[in-house]
Amino acid sequence: MSTRCGLLLLAVALVLTGPPPAGGQKQGGTLRAAFSSDPPTLDPAQATDTTSSAVIRQIFDTLVELDETLKPVPALAERWSASKDQRVYTFVLRPGVRFHHGRELRAGDVKFSFERAARGKRPWVFEKIAGTREFLRGQASEIRGIRLVDDLSVEVTLERPFAPFLSLMAYDAASIVPREEASRLGVEFASHPVGTGAFRFVRWRRDDQVVLEKFNGHFRGAPSLDRVVFRIIPAEITRFNEYKTGHLDYTDIPTGHCRAVQRDPALKQEVAIWPILGTQAVRFNVERPPFNDRRIRQAVGHAIEPRAIVAGLLEGCVVAGKGILPPAMPGFNPGVSGPAFDRERARRLLAEAGFPAGKGLGPFTFHYNTGDLNQRIAELLQAQLKEVGIVLELRRLDWAAHIKLVDEGGAGFFRQGWIADYPDPENFLTVLFHSRNAGAAGNTSRYRNPSLDRLLDEADGMAPGSARFKRYQEAEQIVLDDGVWISLYHYTSRALIKPYVKGLERSPLSSAPEFLAPLRKVSLDR
Amino acid sequence: MLGELSQPIARRLLALVPVLFGISLLVFVLNAVALGDPARAMLGQRGDPEVIAQIRQEYALDRPLWSQYVTWMGRILRGNLGRSYHQQRPVGEVIAERFPATLRLAVAATLLAVAFGLAMGIAAALTPGSALDHLLMGAAVAGISTPVFWLGLMLSLFFAVWLGWLPVSGYGDGAMANLVLPALTLGALHTGTIARMTRSSLLEVIRQDYVQAARAKGLSEVAVVGKHALKNALIPVVTVIGIGLADLLVGAPLTETVFAWPGLGRMLVAAVGQRDLPVVMGAVLVFAVIYVLGSLLVDLAYLVIDPRVRRE
Repeated sequence: MSTRCGLLLLAVALVLTGPPPAGGQKQGGTLRAAFSSDPPTLDPAQATDTTSSAVIRQIFDTLVELDETLKPVPALAERWSASKDQRVYTFVLRPGVRFHHGRELRAGDVKFSFERAARGKRPWVFEKIAGTREFLRGQASEIRGIRLVDDLSVEVTLERPFAPFLSLMAYDAASIVPREEASRLGVEFASHPVGTGAFRFVRWRRDDQVVLEKFNGHFRGAPSLDRVVFRIIPAEITRFNEYKTGHLDYTDIPTGHCRAVQRDPALKQEVAIWPILGTQAVRFNVERPPFNDRRIRQAVGHAIEPRAIVAGLLEGCVVAGKGILPPAMPGFNPGVSGPAFDRERARRLLAEAGFPAGKGLGPFTFHYNTGDLNQRIAELLQAQLKEVGIVLELRRLDWAAHIKLVDEGGAGFFRQGWIADYPDPENFLTVLFHSRNAGAAGNTSRYRNPSLDRLLDEADGMAPGSARFKRYQEAEQIVLDDGVWISLYHYTSRALIKPYVKGLERSPLSSAPEFLAPLRKVSLDR
Repeated sequence: MLGELSQPIARRLLALVPVLFGISLLVFVLNAVALGDPARAMLGQRGDPEVIAQIRQEYALDRPLWSQYVTWMGRILRGNLGRSYHQQRPVGEVIAERFPATLRLAVAATLLAVAFGLAMGIAAALTPGSALDHLLMGAAVAGISTPVFWLGLMLSLFFAVWLGWLPVSGYGDGAMANLVLPALTLGALHTGTIARMTRSSLLEVIRQDYVQAARAKGLSEVAVVGKHALKNALIPVVTVIGIGLADLLVGAPLTETVFAWPGLGRMLVAAVGQRDLPVVMGAVLVFAVIYVLGSLLVDLAYLVIDPRVRRE
């Protein structure tokens, strides 16, 4: 074999296998993780749940991704620029990125993927792009705001400036799929996904396991792990036992075991608890009497003691709620003033509203979805409100029935928390309280406040920075003062991670047991 | 004998038609009156009203209920169980891929239940009123009354976590070791039922004259019980075994949940929660067929075991 021929083969081998893996990490091994339920789909356009997203994020890449500090960093796009008015973003793709089936990524795949996903289950991810609504209503054959500049450049024009747009581009709904494979497979793409991600799909045995293997041709180099096996284990105590017997490399901490594992000499070094972008809350439908009276809502707020819930039911492993935004959210205001626990004040407000000691108010119903913790919280709320004379009847429904009732305005007082899709206050405050989102779109309180709408519209369109956050903080205070939402606690993720698992990110967007973290960074140092 | 059996088989299969129709109508109506919208349930916490409307149109959920039922029935008559809303795959495929796991578990649990149940029942019947009888029947009652979820967790804790002899959970690519604990858990209930039934039936039979005559002929106790008494005593036990097997073939959600077993029970429970009507309807129809065929097999077993039934 001539030297030239040998070099050529080496070059071909390098192209096929991609750059070498990052140094310093131990190579090989199978990462064993578990989900509580089977992912409904592995198609980024169809997913709406974190289980599906956890797998999708390993198989597919997005134009940008969020690092551990939630800052957008390059992924498939090696760079991007934004116009002065923050409406036009130009993304330049990395050359030589390959899909798992071997073809190189082109800008056309980006346009195809976005238009395909916009027709999927999460069109709101793309609704800020000019022309998306016309496209979805069949009034246009393409989204006019997405333009191919050349084979490796895409220009995206927004209807109006939207500061968290790059976070949307890092969302798994915006994953890039290969045009010909997605078209050829149709709905089957959900079971045979092909992306550019660090892991390629191997097999999926429903309700049992999903298996991925490393993609040597990944543009960042092959990941350290050879394989990832996601097992489907519905019972949290079974996941815990699998972890203890060494058959899982990480898992969630079962309900009621948070303190016990922190005291257990064998496990306490493996406990990881970190804040995520979610808040557990109770809300009112402000259109339904008696909750159309602000004083009644405020009275309920003052009668509830979140600290008792945190200490009594959650073993102090979450953070008691005060404001709406969770502490890990950019723009969080530590000085926010929520309804303080004050029974006297609650009684005064009830009397002012014409119901001294709750007389004449009648029992009202608290709606919540099934779950041990939800049941215990409901019972505690019932006891707390009884102290000020409010009689609560409890109504438990399964999730499908609960969400329909709440969406349609059939519940006056109900449990409904929120976990942010992306790290921006807009994803809490605008989605949950802007009047245009009244109903299923997020504002299930059906709260309509024109001055709040104006404030949110202004903040949504502002350039990133502290001035923008200040607007959201004002908006948050308005909602809290109006007693529309009562925070119980801010979610944390509670996990057990084996000491040999290195590089597993614990960002506020990544929660156990799913872990949305990029597993390409993980290695097993046994 | 096959000729004699063809008529009752045909009658039973014909009777299946109105049973299936009635069940399908009942399940459809129950789903219709239950709160919850399949389209909304698909969208997680944030439901875009336009997407909800689009999904409702796509799956014909915006049409009147009678029209939805007629369309579904039309498809069933053409052998098509429809498409899962949630998984966007044919319902037949969804059910078929879980059936082997359910079949393995049901057969293993039944075999264990038959082996232990018969042994316990015979031993108790042969020593009525003794300490052994009380012990075995106490164990049988415990098997029947112990909650499956708790028993599964205890077995798992003891044999998998403490002793490390067996896997905690999972299908394990079909390994026998993964089958043991779920089969023991699921078989416990039926073991108890079979043991109690065998004891009472055998006690009744061994007091009869023909058994006494066999003893008087000088046959050994093993021959008296094994050859003469047990054959007749087993007739009611066969019913319990047959119905028990049919019961297990439609899945066991609690055992499947504790042991992460990918069977039909978990699938159906999840489908109800997701309001995945095609999967619920399809599964219930298949389950109904299994039940009816199970009881048909029991009747056929009667015909084989007991010539008197054949003559009647």
